[in-house]
Amino acid sequence: MSVQFEQLKEILVTKLRVAPEQVTPEATWEDIELDSLAMVELSLMLEENCGLRIGDDELLETPTIKDMVRLMEERSTTA
Amino acid sequence: MSGIDVAVTGIGLVTPGGVGVGPSWAAVCEGRPTAALDPGLAGNPVRLACRVPGFDADALLGARRAYRLDRFVQFALVAAREALADAGLDPHSWDGARVGVVLGCADGGPGTVEQQHDVLRDRGVAKVSPLLLPMQLPNMLAGQTAMEFGATGPNLVVATACASGATAIGTARDLLALDRCDVVLAGGSEAMITPLVMAGFAQMGALSRREDDPATASRPFDVGRDGFVAGEGAGVLVLERTADARARGAGVRGRIVGYGATADAHHMTSPHPRGVGVERALRAALADADATPADVRHVNAHGTSTQLNDLVEAQALNRVLTADPLVTSTKGVTGHLLGAAGAVEAAFAVLAVERGVVPPTANLSRLDPRMDIGVARTRTDARVELALSNSCGFGGQNATLAIAAA
Repeated sequence: MSVQFEQLKEILVTKLRVAPEQVTPEATWEDIELDSLAMVELSLMLEENCGLRIGDDELLETPTIKDMVRLMEERSTTA
Repeated sequence: MSGIDVAVTGIGLVTPGGVGVGPSWAAVCEGRPTAALDPGLAGNPVRLACRVPGFDADALLGARRAYRLDRFVQFALVAAREALADAGLDPHSWDGARVGVVLGCADGGPGTVEQQHDVLRDRGVAKVSPLLLPMQLPNMLAGQTAMEFGATGPNLVVATACASGATAIGTARDLLALDRCDVVLAGGSEAMITPLVMAGFAQMGALSRREDDPATASRPFDVGRDGFVAGEGAGVLVLERTADARARGAGVRGRIVGYGATADAHHMTSPHPRGVGVERALRAALADADATPADVRHVNAHGTSTQLNDLVEAQALNRVLTADPLVTSTKGVTGHLLGAAGAVEAAFAVLAVERGVVPPTANLSRLDPRMDIGVARTRTDARVELALSNSCGFGGQNATLAIAAA
């Protein structure tokens, strides 16, 4: 998987305490029990850890982790 | 008299004696003090505290769940789970709409507030966690308990400072009397051992400063007492109308047969010097229980180890009670669990009635000569048909529970 997937997995597992085996490309936010509050946290952490500015509203529109990684990749190249 | 007989069918405890009823009761019966210098209070004027040992929230609640809960909610969920298992109630099969939750705390989640205030100051407003409010609000104590167990009946948190846990149990009893629900998870939880809160208590002059000998710092009713030692933890009881409990074949561990609640209306921190509020609460609990002062054989007193509380309370007990009951303050062991104290001590009183054992008051070397009460100095076997558990809060709020054998 991409650098972005590994970065995201790192945040989900170490900061938001999601079980590592749950973090798969096909998993939805519901699968890993991330609600709108967690999306705000994730947005803050993506900026802090990866320098990526992605709003929580944008994150909520990505259906799966795979889609979210794609958004991170897009932002990384345009940043 | 409310005419309601309420059974305690389950008990759950998280205290400085340990996680669970077993280690908590063992610690108080052994009179083993838990106060120690707290590494988390390194820069504070007073560093004494009674911590819950070995509380691993990740292991007990799951890391993802625990991460989003302040410590005061974590304690309550663990205690509630133990109480429900003890009561033989299965949240998967009960009618949740008939299950209420009434819990008390003095503060909420100051640990979360202080941590996020550091973020605000050091990293700016944009970095403040969206979990700040849902983690620290006092009502989350009952809200999260409802979510954990699917209890969708009446749900509230009461705040009467250090009487909160007792107020919660009394309020739960009222809900059962009014048939608002059939089962209540009732108690209190507190996690206030934080630098800011403890600095505030220290500035009030409320804390013991016996740092050279921490184990002896919490010494209720002793002539040399100099303040309380803050503790943390939770106590949760499962309450049901006794007739209902017996009908479903539940084990009745004790009964909450009376509740007295009063206000001093005197001062923001000092008890009324003549103890009029606490005396009225004691008498009201007895009247509610349809009992006489001579029936009381044991009192789990508020006994904080402060000069004022212990003197006023001891004198009130002496005025009200006539049969020279065995008085104990388990705070000599546990420290002062603040909003959880009334619930944890009610649980200890139920255990005393159930097992015929009165725990000692740790660190009592010499009773304050102004007090004329019989304080239990050692673990004492005693048949107790009726006990009182008394609690008083800053703000002048008093709550007394009358607890009878099954």
